[in-house]
Amino acid sequence: MPLSFISEAEPGRFLQLEVSQGSFPVTRRPFTISSVAGNSVDIIFEAVGRGTEILAETKEGRSLRLLGPLGCGYRLNSGKWLLIGGGLGAAGFPGLAAGIDCDQVLLGASSRGKLLTIPGARTVAITEDGSSGTKGLVTDLLGSILWDSYGGIALCGPVPMMKAVIEAIPVKARANVQISAEAMMGCGWGACEGCSVPKAGGGFLKCCSDGPVFPADSIDWERWEGIH
Amino acid sequence: MDKPYKWTFWKREFNSPILLASGTAGFGLELMEQGFLEGAAAVISKATTLKPREGNPPPRIVETRFGLLNSIGLANPGVDEVLKTLLPQAADLPCPLIINVAGESVEDFPAVIERLEESPVPFGYEINVSCPNVAAGGIAFGASPEIVERIASLVKRVSSKPFSVKLTPNEGSIVESAKAAEAGGADAVTICNTFLGMKMDWRTGRAPLKRNVGGYSSPALLPLTVARVFITSEAVDIPVLASGGVNRAEDILELLACGAAMVQVGTWLMRRPDAARELREDMINLLESCSP
Repeated sequence: MPLSFISEAEPGRFLQLEVSQGSFPVTRRPFTISSVAGNSVDIIFEAVGRGTEILAETKEGRSLRLLGPLGCGYRLNSGKWLLIGGGLGAAGFPGLAAGIDCDQVLLGASSRGKLLTIPGARTVAITEDGSSGTKGLVTDLLGSILWDSYGGIALCGPVPMMKAVIEAIPVKARANVQISAEAMMGCGWGACEGCSVPKAGGGFLKCCSDGPVFPADSIDWERWEGIH
Repeated sequence: MDKPYKWTFWKREFNSPILLASGTAGFGLELMEQGFLEGAAAVISKATTLKPREGNPPPRIVETRFGLLNSIGLANPGVDEVLKTLLPQAADLPCPLIINVAGESVEDFPAVIERLEESPVPFGYEINVSCPNVAAGGIAFGASPEIVERIASLVKRVSSKPFSVKLTPNEGSIVESAKAAEAGGADAVTICNTFLGMKMDWRTGRAPLKRNVGGYSSPALLPLTVARVFITSEAVDIPVLASGGVNRAEDILELLACGAAMVQVGTWLMRRPDAARELREDMINLLESCSP
C-alpha cells in the first residue's frame, strides 16, 4: 500500500475495491477503512451479495485494484468519545478508536458471530439472541449514559437502529453525534449522484463525497430508509 | 507514435475519439482534479435543466446480474447555478465540455440554451430527449419524430454552437428520430440513451427502485448499440455519437467501423475513473499492431 494512501486514510473514510476481474458486477464495492497499520489497511466485510461473495472467495496474495481513500471522515473533536455500533456498522471503529480519546464502545449485533472486536477499547456488547453479553438491543444500553460528558459520539449501523439511538439521545447532545452512512454507490467520487442520502431541510447529500460521515442533524431521518 | 491518429468532430481535431457520457462524469471537475481526463476528447456534462431538480428518492442505483439500473432523475442545480458556479470552474478543463440539456417541456430546451449561450465555456450541447427516469418529458419527447424535429429546430434558432440530439432506444424508431433531428438542424445524434430496465424482488413483489423502472446500462448493451449506430449512420449525414456498452478498446474500434464519429464511455467510468486514458492507450496499441 503506498504511503500516500496510508497517510490519507483518516477514520471514517472509505475505499472502493474492484472485486470482479470480468465485466460483472460492473461497479466497484465501497468499504469503510477499518484500520491502518504500517503499510497495510484492513477492511471488515460480510458476504451479503455478489460483490462481497466474490471478494470472500478471492485468494490470498491476489492483487485487486483499489480507489481511495475517498470521502470525508470523522471530525476528531477533543474530549472523550462514545462509539455506538450495530453489527458491521462498527467496522470503522478500530481506526477511529485509535485516533481519539475513546471512553467506551457500545456494540449491538444479532448474535455473537456478528459482534466485532474493537482493540484497546472498553466495550459493552449486547446481542439479540443473547449469545454474547446481555440479550437485547443496543438501545437497551443507553439508559445510564452521561451524554453531556462526551466531546464526540460516533454512530453507525442499520438506519432503523441509528434512528432508535438518536431518539434516545437528549436533544442537546445530538449536535455531537456523527454518523457514518451507507448507500448503493456508483462512482464514489461525487459525479454520478447515485448514492443520495436525504438532507435535513430538503434535497439530498452525496454519501460518497459529502460523507460518508455526517453530523446526525444534517440528515432527514424521516425520509431516510437506508439499504434494505 | 500516435501522431497520425486524429478524429475530427464539429470542426475540431482530437487525438482521441472518446467522449465521457452524460451523467457519469459530472462536469468533469472531479476527474480533472485526479488527472483522469487524459484520453478524453470531451466531457459531456450531467443534464442541466431550467430549474434545479433534486432528483429521485434513493435508492438511485441498483446493480443487476448483467449491469446497472439507475434512477437519478436528472438531479442538477439548474442552469443559473451551472452558469454561476460550474462553468467558470469548467473553463479550466483540459478538454472541451459539451453541456447536456434536458427539459420538462419543448420550450425548456431553447430556454436553457439561451441562458447557456451567455457562457463561452460550452463547446456544444447534447439535447436529452430520452431520459427514462422522469415523469414529465424525457422519453415522451424522443418517442415522436415530430417533437424531436421541433425541439431541434427551436434549439438551432437560439444556439451559436453545434448540438447533438440524444435519442431513446425505448420507444419509436431511432432511425426516424435521427432523420427528424437532422431535419431540425441537429449537428449530430447520440445513439443512444439507456434502455428501460427493471429489477423485481420476487420474494416481496417489490422493485428496489421507487419508480420501479430505471435506465439500464451494461457492457451487454454493446451489440444493441452497434446495430443502432450502423443503421443510423446509413440513414443520416450528420455525425453519429455512439453510446452504450463500451468497456474495451475493441468496442470503440467496432463502433467507429460502424460509422460512429465519436464514441462515448459512461457506466464504465464507475469502474475505471481513468477509463479514457486506459481505453485510448489500448486502442492505439491495437491500431499499431494492425498497421503494416
